[in-house]
Amino acid sequence: MSTIVETAPRGQTRRRMRVDGWRWAGRIFLVFMLLYTALPMIWMLITSIKSGFAAMQFPPQWWPDQPTLASYQKLLDPQNSVGQDFLRFFWNSLFVSTVTTILSVIVAVPAAYAFSRFSFPGRNFLFFSVLLRNMFPAVIFLVPLFILMRVLGLVNTHGSLILTYLTFGLPLAIWLLKGFYDNIPVQLEQAARIDGATRFQAFILIVMPLSTPGIIATAIYSFIGAWNEYIYAYTFLSKNDQLTLPVGIQRFFSENTTDFPGLMAASFMMSVPVVVLFLVLQRYFVRALTEGAVKH
Amino acid sequence: MTIVTGKAEARRILQPGKSGLLRKIWEHRADYAYVLPAIAVMLIVIAYPIYYTIELSFFKTPPGLQLRDKTFIGFDNYTTILASRVFWKVTWNTLIWTVGSTFISFVLGFAAALALHRDFIGRGVLRAVLIVPWVISAVAASYIWRWIYHSDFGIIGAVLVGLGLADRPPNFIDSVSTVLPSLIVVNIWREFPFAMIMMMAGLQTVPEQLLSAAKVDGASAWQRFWHVTFPHLRNVSTVTILLLAVANFNSFIIPWIMTGGGPSNASHIWITHIYELAFGRQLWGVASAYSVLLFLILMTLGYFYVRALSGNERKEGSA
Repeated sequence: MSTIVETAPRGQTRRRMRVDGWRWAGRIFLVFMLLYTALPMIWMLITSIKSGFAAMQFPPQWWPDQPTLASYQKLLDPQNSVGQDFLRFFWNSLFVSTVTTILSVIVAVPAAYAFSRFSFPGRNFLFFSVLLRNMFPAVIFLVPLFILMRVLGLVNTHGSLILTYLTFGLPLAIWLLKGFYDNIPVQLEQAARIDGATRFQAFILIVMPLSTPGIIATAIYSFIGAWNEYIYAYTFLSKNDQLTLPVGIQRFFSENTTDFPGLMAASFMMSVPVVVLFLVLQRYFVRALTEGAVKH
Repeated sequence: MTIVTGKAEARRILQPGKSGLLRKIWEHRADYAYVLPAIAVMLIVIAYPIYYTIELSFFKTPPGLQLRDKTFIGFDNYTTILASRVFWKVTWNTLIWTVGSTFISFVLGFAAALALHRDFIGRGVLRAVLIVPWVISAVAASYIWRWIYHSDFGIIGAVLVGLGLADRPPNFIDSVSTVLPSLIVVNIWREFPFAMIMMMAGLQTVPEQLLSAAKVDGASAWQRFWHVTFPHLRNVSTVTILLLAVANFNSFIIPWIMTGGGPSNASHIWITHIYELAFGRQLWGVASAYSVLLFLILMTLGYFYVRALSGNERKEGSA
């Protein structure tokens, strides 16, 4: 680190050096952040290919003597009970997250459009009450929602989770999408309507395609939120075959507290779908924030 | 507060008074159809529970949550809370947790966004890697870090011993003095990417001409940042900090999975404490009263949140 700083000024003008000082500070900082971010994940991967015995050693093996995929095989093997459970949890998570995502988009798109375009009485009040939902933690709603789900007969069903998760994503989704619609010129729709389109057609044919990045961002956000949710799933579901991944894994490993390779493998597998999804679609997400929410 | 402004707003638009308002609502009846699904879901899952929580906070409800047998006890639940020593302990923890996590996450995220703003080889990859912790589940993150902090086989302990900085691996999350900072490190690990994304998006709205003009005028890098970039980002910063603060104030998973609030309440924050009171000790009334207090605090924060957001709105309107 210090050598870098010292070699920088050699053979350069003073002005150049000052700019480079910031640049080097930035680079050193990024290296630090990279280590902070990546090392825990690398250690998770290394641990996951150790045997249970190799993981429990001091000092630790930095690289396992005998790397093994046994933990992954165990989790993905439908023949044994661990694999059966894991695959079922995985499927449950996938189902709940997908349904939540689809419903969120269906509910958020028209709402955001209305908040952006129409000026009905109470518009601002309703808009901000929707945003306020973001303020409240799941735990506040747990007891009454638990009672409500009991009344609706939804305890121990995925319906209870989908209904609840819907409201997580909605505020941010509506906020993001509204920003998008604010930036789409009204004239485009007006032109379409002069050409004989109904308001609904103008919305579907003109506005929807233009707001695709926002919709994709909204969908990613809902999916990740639902995939990772823990508290409601932990409280509403008690039957083993209903559990979603975060709760399932926690249940499982509270019984096998020392199987760290298995735990790390499960954590890795749980992260793969959302990380891949996000990395593939992340440019939409950043673009949606830039054009929607953050824009002045 | 919002109700008042909402009504005032409506009146300003509608001028002619009550019958005018009703007529206006009627004229716009089709518009409400667009927002109805969103509002309906919100009402069921939010308004009803809020009402219910307030009601429960004035009752003593038996452990099995048999609502028919609850008895009215006035403000007893509230006085129980304020009199307990755990309350102050937990409140202090929550304060450290929220302020510490929010401030450091924001600073790290903002700095990372600035450092990533200039193009260089591998920027896209680096940005993607830095965002990953935000995407992975908090449950997975908690287990990863619990393993890293492990008192016998943890990698940090091993490194410290290897470097001769400690005689034996320290007990990060089983010790009263280190548990909260250790958990905050995990929380920041998961949260700074959010600040980074928000600030990256914000940085893209800073007009390039303004920065080059400042450069031509001889402003240093720091001056350009302080006088051009930063003022432009004030709104984004406010919203980001508020969202982070609320998320941190409301966090549950990391302390719950990593320590369950222990040892001896050292890592209990409000939310985990409420959860334990309700679903652990089944003190529904006390837990509800806690929730109501929490609600009041959040409404105060929410007031600033809405103000920051409507500051955005106003700007958009005038632009």
